This record gives sequence, C-alpha cells and structure tokens, in this order.
Amino acid sequence: MHDVLEKLSRCVEHGKVDRSSAFPPELRGEPGADELCREALAGGVPPQQILSDALVTGMARIGERFARGKAFVPHMLLSARAMTAAMAHLRPFFASGEVRRRGVFVVGTVAGDLHDIGKNIVAMMVEGAGWEVVDLGVDVGAERFLAELEARPGAVVGLSAMLTTTMVNMAKIVADLRVRHPARQILVGGAPLDAEFARSVGASFYSPDPQGAIEHLRSLAA
Amino acid sequence: MDRIARLRSALGRGVLVGDGATGTELQWLGLGPGACGEAWNLSAPDQVRRVHRRYLAAGAQLLTSNTFGGTPLALARHGLGERAADLNRAGARLAREVAGERAFALGDMGPCGGLLEPHGDVPLPRAAEAFRRQAAALLEGGADAILVETMSDPAEAALAVEAALQAGARLVLATFAFQRVPDGFRTMMGADVAGAVAVALAAGAEGVGANCGTELSLDDYLRLTSELSAAAGSAAVLVQPNAGSPALQAGRAVYPTGPEAFAAAAPRLAAAGARIVGGCCGTGPAHIAAVRAALVGGPGGAALPGPEVPR
Repeated sequence: MHDVLEKLSRCVEHGKVDRSSAFPPELRGEPGADELCREALAGGVPPQQILSDALVTGMARIGERFARGKAFVPHMLLSARAMTAAMAHLRPFFASGEVRRRGVFVVGTVAGDLHDIGKNIVAMMVEGAGWEVVDLGVDVGAERFLAELEARPGAVVGLSAMLTTTMVNMAKIVADLRVRHPARQILVGGAPLDAEFARSVGASFYSPDPQGAIEHLRSLAA
Repeated sequence: MDRIARLRSALGRGVLVGDGATGTELQWLGLGPGACGEAWNLSAPDQVRRVHRRYLAAGAQLLTSNTFGGTPLALARHGLGERAADLNRAGARLAREVAGERAFALGDMGPCGGLLEPHGDVPLPRAAEAFRRQAAALLEGGADAILVETMSDPAEAALAVEAALQAGARLVLATFAFQRVPDGFRTMMGADVAGAVAVALAAGAEGVGANCGTELSLDDYLRLTSELSAAAGSAAVLVQPNAGSPALQAGRAVYPTGPEAFAAAAPRLAAAGARIVGGCCGTGPAHIAAVRAALVGGPGGAALPGPEVPR
C-alpha cells in the first residue's frame, strides 16, 4: 500500500484535519488529512483507492475503538472532521462517476425529536464508509422519508431517536414506510433502543454503535 | 436557620430522598412526545404542581423544578428562546410553592442544548451566558439551590456550576450521565468518574454524582456510587438512576424496574456513600415512596429535615 495512504488513514483515525491541527500531539506540524489527500491525488493514486484504503480504513479503526468503549464522541467528531476534509478533494470524482459509492443512505432523527449528535456521527461514519449520505436533519416525519425514497429506489434508511417518548414516533414511521416499502432496509439507532425494540417495530437492523451499522451496510453492498 | 444551612446540615448527617422523573410524569398527564415540557410552567402550571405534589406526598425531601431543558439555547429549538427567563422563573416558583417548609426546591439545569467548542459549534461564552440567564431566573423564582444534571462534558458542567454561582446560587449540585465501558464508567464525551467529579468540584459544586445514563442497572449504579464516593472526598454524593432501560409495550415506553426493586437498591446506594437518592427517567411517585420507606421509614411528607427538626 502507498505510504501516503497509510498516513492518511492514521490522520482520519486520530482526527488530524490539516497541518495546523494541534491534535494528536505526536503529529504536530505534520501534514493532515487535507494535505495528504491532495498529495495522494497529485501522486496519481486512484481516488477509489484513496477512499477505500485510507478514509474507509481510518473511520473503521476509530469506529471499532468506539464500539469497544475505547474512544468517545469527541474522538469520533475529530475523525469525522478529518475524513470530511479529505473527502472534499474526492467529490469531483463522485460527480464524474470515477469513484463509485456503495449506495445511498437516507438518515434523519424522527419526528418530535431534536437530538442530532448521534445521527450526525452515524451520517459521517457512513459517508466515511463510502456511501452517499442524504441527511434529512431532525424532527423528520414519514412523509419526508417517503418523498426521498421515491427518487432513490435502492436507498437504505436510517432512523435515530434519543428519547423514550420519540421511540414511539419511530415505531410509527417504520410502520408508515413499511406500507410502501415492505422489503426496504431500515436501520434504527439511539440511546433508548435495543434489538428487541427494533424487531418489534419492523426495522431491519439495530446496532448500539455506528460501527455495527457500517458492517451491516457492508454486508448489504457486498 | 435558613434552608441552605439546613440542607447542608442534613447532607452532612444522613440520607435525603430526591424526587423522580418530571418528563415522564408530564407525559402521563398529556404532554406530547417530543413537546416542550418547560412550556407547561406557564401554560399548564396546575399539571406541573400536581407532579411536585405527588412527589412531596411520596416523601421526597427535594423537589426539582421543571426546567431541565430551560437554557435559552435549548428552548430556542422549540421557538421559546425568548421566553427562557419567564419559563425558568415560573418553574422554580412552582417547585418552591409546593415544597413549602417540607422540602427543598432545586432549580434544575440540564445540558445547554448543543455540543461545546471545540467538539461542537457552541462557543463557551455563549453557553456560559445561557446558563447564567437560566440560573438567575431560577433563583428569582425561589430555588433554594441549583442542580446541574445529565452532563456529559465536564467543561459544560463546570460552566453551568460557575454560572449558577455567579448568578447568586449559594449551593450547587452537579451530576453526570455515565455509561458502562470495559474499564469502568465514562460519560458520552469520554470523561471518567474521577475526572468528571474533580472538574465539577473545582468549579464550585458542593455535591456531585450521577443521574440517568445509558443501560445502567442498579448494580451498575451501586459500583458507580462507590466510585463517586471515592472521588468526591468530603463532598456529598447524589444518585438518581433510571427505572431500567425502556421497552415499547402497546405503543408506549415502559420502564422495567418497579418501585420495590428500585427501593431495594436505595439502602445499598446509601451504604455506598450516597447522601441523596432519587430517580430519573421512568421513576414516579411510587418509586419515591418506596425509597422513602426503605431509607427513612414512616409516611411521606415529613417536615423539612434540619437540626431543629428531629426525625
């Protein structure tokens, strides 16, 4: 593997956005995700390989540490920021079709719920795993998901709920989506949820952490 | 002796019974899923009073104002940012009015409503100002002391504690929401027990502890209480666990831990060092009545604890 890709994946894992980023201390003054991604492209590394061998790899490493309780929300946010800085240089290749995404992920926090931290982290992780992400924001009802799915027949749906009260709204949204989309992949997550709840409302998959969702998505795209 | 002196004295001598959840109780009374509970301090004060009265009757010695999401930043998400002072003042007034001389009224302050810089996009001075405005209104409304709760970021907890003291609070308590990790307990932002407690105490909190949390059993809370006690030194420890993790039954969230099981843990929590035992999500007056019986004995609604009131 290219040395620059290994360095880039480490920057994503540790959340080093660019040369000026103070964190992590051992990489102070070194190039960050921004510079390394440009360097890789200038050096002729195919953008597809940058995505899969550096960005996806780096996000997978931090996601796996998060799932084990060895990394926390601040680390995830830093990594996502570094991944986003690198991803900005790959966007033209998505548009041209030179880099293929694994699929489309339509995500939102359910109606009545205004919490976005968990949803944002999942959205960034999924983007870092090579998917196109359509983030509908917070307080999203079934109608908006249905409208988005009209235009995107293969899209996977992600629903987030932070409150026990809005879990109930999540159940209703899944039921509404199921009328038109009985076989659609619908992933659910959020602090008060568990696998039993996900099954009972008719969701396809639940994970207590973003990495579980990433692995499930990978199995779908394989 | 004034209430603060009595509260300090009571915390030094024994265990006080907190109240239970406010949000889930208001939902029983018709608050819609995801709706702004704080708005009821002005639009439905009788319902908020009713919750406080039930907890007082159950034997709670601390009543927590219905102002958890009451910073101007958090209220702005419901379009009520401009009403922050009125809603907090009204919330504190309701708790104080019901508490009378039989309980202490805590002005409740939850997280500010966004992630602080550098992790998120809320500048520290903006959060500090939001907490100051909330605390000032709570004290105007008659809160005896301030409870900063459900914190994940110690820096945010410190801002809230300092803001409350600057606004004139004479006693501030601060509690964090923890989750279990392989090497103990951490907040969502990764703070461990000792680190979170140290930051809150350095900011001026007189009591520290835990409330809510993710997937924490009462056995977890027992271990957590021991860790909190070790970290708190001479400061009081307060714990307010959830009634377990919710499951959906017939279209509504149901908390699995009933009053008896919840109360059975209370003496163990006290033995591990807790000076205030109350409840968070899913706990109601029945849980608090059972805790009261397990910890203090006798019927609820006793006189305000203090040195001049024998118990």
